[in-house]
Amino acid sequence: MSMVYINIFLAFILSLMGMLIYRSHLMSSLLCLEGMMLSLFVMMSVTILNNHLTLASMMPIVLLVFAACEAALGLSLLVMVSNTYGTDYVQNLNLLQC
Amino acid sequence: MNMFASCMITALILLTLPIIMTSTKLYKDKLYPYYVKTATSHAFMISMIPAMMFIYSGQEMVISNWHWMTIQTMKLSMSFKLDYFSMIFVPVALFVTWSIMEFSMWYMHSDPYINRFFKYLLMFLITMMILVTANNMFQLFIGWEGVGIMSFLLIGWWYGRTDANTAALQAILYNRIGDVGFIMAMAWFLLHLNAWDLQQIFMSANDNLNLPLFGLLLAATGKSAQFGLHPWLPSAMEGPTPVSALLHSSTMVVAGVFLLIRFHPLMEQNPTIQTLTLCLGAVTTLFTAICALTQNDIKKIVAFSTSSQLGLMIVTIGINQPYLAFLHICTHAFFKAMLFMCSGSIIHSLNDEQDIRKMGGLFKALPFTTTSLIIGSLALTGMPFLTGFYSKDLIIETANTSNTNAWALLITLIATSMTAAYSTRILFFALLGQPRFTPIISINENNPYLINSIKRLLLGSVFAGYVISHSITPTTIPQMTMPHHLKMAALAVTILGFILALELNLTMQGLKFNHSSHYFKFSNLLGYYPTIMHRLAPKTSLFMSQKSASMLLDHIWLESVLPKSIAFFQMKSSTLVSNQKGLIKLYFFSFMITMALSLSILNYHV
Repeated sequence: MSMVYINIFLAFILSLMGMLIYRSHLMSSLLCLEGMMLSLFVMMSVTILNNHLTLASMMPIVLLVFAACEAALGLSLLVMVSNTYGTDYVQNLNLLQC
Repeated sequence: MNMFASCMITALILLTLPIIMTSTKLYKDKLYPYYVKTATSHAFMISMIPAMMFIYSGQEMVISNWHWMTIQTMKLSMSFKLDYFSMIFVPVALFVTWSIMEFSMWYMHSDPYINRFFKYLLMFLITMMILVTANNMFQLFIGWEGVGIMSFLLIGWWYGRTDANTAALQAILYNRIGDVGFIMAMAWFLLHLNAWDLQQIFMSANDNLNLPLFGLLLAATGKSAQFGLHPWLPSAMEGPTPVSALLHSSTMVVAGVFLLIRFHPLMEQNPTIQTLTLCLGAVTTLFTAICALTQNDIKKIVAFSTSSQLGLMIVTIGINQPYLAFLHICTHAFFKAMLFMCSGSIIHSLNDEQDIRKMGGLFKALPFTTTSLIIGSLALTGMPFLTGFYSKDLIIETANTSNTNAWALLITLIATSMTAAYSTRILFFALLGQPRFTPIISINENNPYLINSIKRLLLGSVFAGYVISHSITPTTIPQMTMPHHLKMAALAVTILGFILALELNLTMQGLKFNHSSHYFKFSNLLGYYPTIMHRLAPKTSLFMSQKSASMLLDHIWLESVLPKSIAFFQMKSSTLVSNQKGLIKLYFFSFMITMALSLSILNYHV
């Protein structure tokens, strides 16, 4: 595998680790989710452009759309939590209630 | 061509002149009450001319003036029926109204709206005249509704007082229930006989007349305060005393009886309606006499006395004697109006005190009022050869000798003795004994308006019975031959009532007042009839409607059945089923450890 793919793959792994390990703020997990999405987008675009997979050229756009929806969903959950508790500390989420 | 029609129409138009003058500056004048009184007295004198012509020659007349409209096959016109009943009633009513207007010039002297008061009284008189001279039911209905409206306006004269407004509304509501019967009769006559004219109705009525006569009886029950629709009459005492004297003793409340008298050719043929009338009148007269025994307001006692006498008139119609009932109407007007005026004199002199427990000792302080009160009470109870005797005693004797319901007759006799009892009660508490009012009052009855008006009615109370009963044409009053005990029955029960009441009052004078017994409470609270009818029925219907409209439809069917039940169900099941604890960091961390471990093992495997 060439250096470009390894680089982007590492970026993906880093964001994943960042999402799974976070200390207090829910916002940092959402930001890492965006990072994961970004690295996936770049890797997909580079692969398609290098190997001339023309028919798959719309995949990155579709991925972008779905990522936007999911980001909105995540942000709305964050806003709900922030409405109830004032902050987005993760230790508040122990009640199973908004 | 004689002056019969001209004089009658002149008298009627003379009454309307002050009403027409209200748009001029005469209405703002200080002398307007005097003009109204003079117009009434002149109308009385002019109407005596046709009355005397009628008595001399027996001439009746129907004046049919103006063709108003024809609705398909029925012709409505303005027509006046001047027969025995209206010819004698009009002078009597005008005479009594003349005295009452003079009285109210003294009584309402300090009222700022006295001109409006006289205008209302005059409008009432005009509508009453329309009622008694009507030849078709439509004109009668105009007069009927007119007296109802003027009664409302006059009862609620002091409209700042809540009780007065309630009483006026009560009068309108109870009268309306009676009007339903009137309209039912009108509709039946329209459908079956195609006529609203009295002549045509009497000629062409030959089948089952139960329904319209029952409707007319219901109308009389409402207007004349018979049992079932009676509470408005004692409540109507919230109005000023002249209003009580005119409307609710002599003129308006006899409109119901007058209606039944007008339809006597129809009622002669129908024994069912006669029995119903008899029983209704008997129950009314006994019930209201019982209620009058323990009242403490002098006007209410006289109001119940009126109601009892109205029941007596209805009893007379029930034994098929319309002419006697009419005679009682005319004689009753004199002494009842005078009783009200005397109680008005007492009330005003004692600085608006109406409770008889706070009066007393007026025998020496108000000699003229005392005299007229005693004579009025004696006339009411039927003392021989005063006015009441000529009608009331005749009624009792006729009832004794006719083929009538014995129970109704018995309770009529009991009510007659109670009449004497409560009259004695009024005289005892208001006039005799030591004064029970505060001494800071100046008692003065020396006003010419007061004295003259009561004096006229006093002369009427003493002599009118004799004059009227010896002047009228022969009617259907039966010949009076009966054994001694029947003839003396009315007098005996009256004397019994007097003696019993006097002895009881004298005996109980110095004793302590016990807690009221059940009979006292029954009588004092008017037999619990207003308490039950005015509270229970509206509360039940309001409660049912609120429960069905608000609770049933809104709360249950629109809110609870689907939306709230679904939400409730979801919440309950989710709390039941879910068992997570929300440890997000732990879950993420374990996910990462698992993935790292699996990737590293996979790396070394392949």
